[in-house]
Amino acid sequence: MKFDNIIIGGGLSGLTCGIKLAEQGKKCAIVSSGQSAIHFFSGSFDLLSKVNEEEVTNPLESMKALPDTHPYKRVGLDKIERLTNDALHLLVRSGLNLTGQADRNHFTLTPMGVMKPTWLTLSDFTSFDNKDSFPWKKAVILNFSGFLDFHTLFIKDGLKKFDVQAQIKNVSMKQFEAIRKNPSEMRSTNIAKEFDKENAIDEFAQKANVLSDGFDVVILPAVFGLFNKTIADKLKEKIEKPVLLLPAIPPSVPGIRTQITLRERFQELGGTYLLGDNVEEGVFENGRLLEIRTNNHGDIKFEADQFILASGSFYSKGIVATHDKLYEPIFGLDIEGDSDREKWFDEKIFNDQAFMRYGVKTDQNFRAMMNGEPVENLYVAGSVLGGANPLKEGSGAGISLLTSLHAAEQILK
Amino acid sequence: MNKNRSKEYDVIIIGGGATGAGTARDCAMRGLSVLLVERHDFATGATGRNHGLLHSGARYAVTDHESAAECIEENMILRKIANHCIEENNGLFLTLPEDDIAFQSQFVDACSSAGISTEIIDPKLALRMEPSANPDIIGAVKVPDGSVDPFRLTMSNALDAKLHGAEILTQHEVIDILKDQDRVNGVELFDHAKKEKVKYYGKIVCNAAGIWGHNIAKFAGVNINMFPAKGSLLIFGHRVNKMVLNRCRKPANADILVPGDTICLIGTTSERIPIEEIDNMYVSKDDVDVLIREGVKLSPSLATTRILRAYAGVRPLVAADNDPSGRSISRGIVLMDHKERDGLEGFITITGGKLMTYRLMAEEATDLICKKLDVDKKCETANIPLPGSDKSDETLNNVSQKVYSVNGITQKSAKDRHGSLAHKIAKGDENEDSMVCECEGVSIGEVKYAINELHVNNLIDLRRRTRVGMGTCQGELCACRAAGLLCESMEEAGKAKDDLANFLQERWKGMSPIAWGETINEIQFTSWIYEGIYGLKPDNN
Repeated sequence: MKFDNIIIGGGLSGLTCGIKLAEQGKKCAIVSSGQSAIHFFSGSFDLLSKVNEEEVTNPLESMKALPDTHPYKRVGLDKIERLTNDALHLLVRSGLNLTGQADRNHFTLTPMGVMKPTWLTLSDFTSFDNKDSFPWKKAVILNFSGFLDFHTLFIKDGLKKFDVQAQIKNVSMKQFEAIRKNPSEMRSTNIAKEFDKENAIDEFAQKANVLSDGFDVVILPAVFGLFNKTIADKLKEKIEKPVLLLPAIPPSVPGIRTQITLRERFQELGGTYLLGDNVEEGVFENGRLLEIRTNNHGDIKFEADQFILASGSFYSKGIVATHDKLYEPIFGLDIEGDSDREKWFDEKIFNDQAFMRYGVKTDQNFRAMMNGEPVENLYVAGSVLGGANPLKEGSGAGISLLTSLHAAEQILK
Repeated sequence: MNKNRSKEYDVIIIGGGATGAGTARDCAMRGLSVLLVERHDFATGATGRNHGLLHSGARYAVTDHESAAECIEENMILRKIANHCIEENNGLFLTLPEDDIAFQSQFVDACSSAGISTEIIDPKLALRMEPSANPDIIGAVKVPDGSVDPFRLTMSNALDAKLHGAEILTQHEVIDILKDQDRVNGVELFDHAKKEKVKYYGKIVCNAAGIWGHNIAKFAGVNINMFPAKGSLLIFGHRVNKMVLNRCRKPANADILVPGDTICLIGTTSERIPIEEIDNMYVSKDDVDVLIREGVKLSPSLATTRILRAYAGVRPLVAADNDPSGRSISRGIVLMDHKERDGLEGFITITGGKLMTYRLMAEEATDLICKKLDVDKKCETANIPLPGSDKSDETLNNVSQKVYSVNGITQKSAKDRHGSLAHKIAKGDENEDSMVCECEGVSIGEVKYAINELHVNNLIDLRRRTRVGMGTCQGELCACRAAGLLCESMEEAGKAKDDLANFLQERWKGMSPIAWGETINEIQFTSWIYEGIYGLKPDNN
């Protein structure tokens, strides 16, 4: 099978790249092994939240302080602002409803009750302009009886710092009786599936309205709208008070919905999405990747003019560690990282871990390096690129979105 | 600060390991008034940091006849009194092509003279009995080894001590030994929860603090020559073997593979360390490499089995009093009456020995305590089962069938962990049955039981009681669920967040020496959830 472009990896970066290329008329395929980081999406895309442990107000400005090896610097700061706009518009065209701007971070409330700076926030969630105040005085935190993945006491504790009086209440729903019978089924996706059917939402809203009498805001776990894209809005209409949704333990319901929305956009543009498939190997000739072979398709070869590797970091298996080495498991590309495992870690889990910065080596055009030479038509995007600690910087989504758009532009040149 | 002056205990026991808890049980059963004090939690020292091997004694048969004989005797006793802490797996002593097969007959003879039953097994049959064993073996001997859960065992002893009237203080660290001239009459403690000093008085103070007994003795002004020996172990994420596997040779590094619960363990290394390092145990890269290299010789499939954690414990070895160099070290039980040894009345030390002989150590210590107090009562700890172990009125199955309605996994897991006390756990309603930890099958009911009845102060304690966070995900998701429950029932939420951060750090300590493969993927994911999404920090208040 012959495509213009083949993208390896179906996460945020692979999908963004695929959508961008397909929008420009390219015949694209995405090979995705399954879940990605979007499945534990917090509801916000971060661009840059911290530099040298200092919280960032204006990400575009603060990027100047990043080292030259950082992916943003390598893309080029002159291009970044335009790319942030392109990314936002691409996501909005895909059907995501987002607020936020690249030159000024806003804040969202975490499930620990802490304000966290971010770039773009999904409309399910609430954005705050100020990290030191909370717009409401009295909050009711509602949870479903038997749901252990939403930590009401932590939220209540966090809200104390804003002088908010919070009260925790539990709601029992007969619709959940079946899933509660099996002790490991009471998880957010199963609750979301019940709400997706729309027959529980009225009853729940009614209960929430009774329980929120006398309060200014209703805080709920974000378990609304897995496949159903309108249910979260419906809920907010039916509840009389403002609703503040907070993430529960992953998998994230809004995250899965976001992934589905982007995937559908790609497919509507004519893209081919191979789900649950893995790239096994590639055939290289004269410094070019000619074709790849996947697990599910046996002898059928996939050819393309350009390929994009967006296979993610360690937890997505884009990079693999063994006791004596690091490697890129599909093509054996060159790795930026220490081969001595004692250098990978800090003994304190909350410290900066060196392994977070490891990734595939690329040339200045983000083409993968193999045995010291760039592969002419294999671009690298997203968290499989090294050079940043996206957890410490709050830059994970930004790097995924901007480097994949940048790679797409190289291809479209 | 002398608020407890009014009460004088018969005996104050220092140390919440198996020996301390066992001594508390024995003393309480003989009618003494007992206070047990522990600076952290039960089984946090050497007790919780070993193989969990129910030694048959065979390992020592050739080199240390006395230890071997003690082991087999205690082995048979523990099967009777602590069956809920024990898996009767049996063990094989394997001879590999690189080992001398002639050692086998010497080994079998030594076992039989120590009273350990052996059976020479044809290698082909041995491989059918234990398919995970190295297929190249040229000899195999079956012995009555088994597995013992040291956390459960220690907790059962502490519970029974309480049932017999003992008082127990965890999170209370000894900061001084109180003396009246040449007589010890109490301890000064630091209460880590309340952050205050407190004094307790007793007729006898029993130092059962393992290697930390070195410092306790110093407080009393006496010197015990202790030599800490570090032993490192690896935990694998699957139970690859069903029988304990040993090498049939003189004891060496990394030659025991013990199955236990859902996992198996390879160990140990042995290395002398300075006494200053006993609170800072780390497993080095070399330790890990030796353990893997030798472990694979026992069971080749370990090469491809995921490693969950690495950890190290410290054996409390005691040098003979006339040998400050530590060359003539005993691995046997050491009981010191400091009256006889140092002219200090009211203070004894019980140390040395091993997990297997904790009960015997407790018996010897209690005999001495009773003698000093002029109490004439016989030891009964070898005959009366520990709580959770008694099979008296109903079989375990009947108990649990009556109690549980739906949930097979948590039911079985709880029964495995708490024995006949499992009936105290669930009411059998949906709420209590909800699963907190999927890897290890821990329900809300079990967590609540542990919090209410088993001296749980934080998430790390809870792990020792219930195995929350001990499975393949190492607390990725269950830690937060358990923290929520803990926070509901006992703690202030702000403290619970720090507790959660500490728990993740403690898990990381054991993961970092072996963090490749799935483990590095898992820790990256865990960090994203807790730090990235939740915004958890090392200090949250």
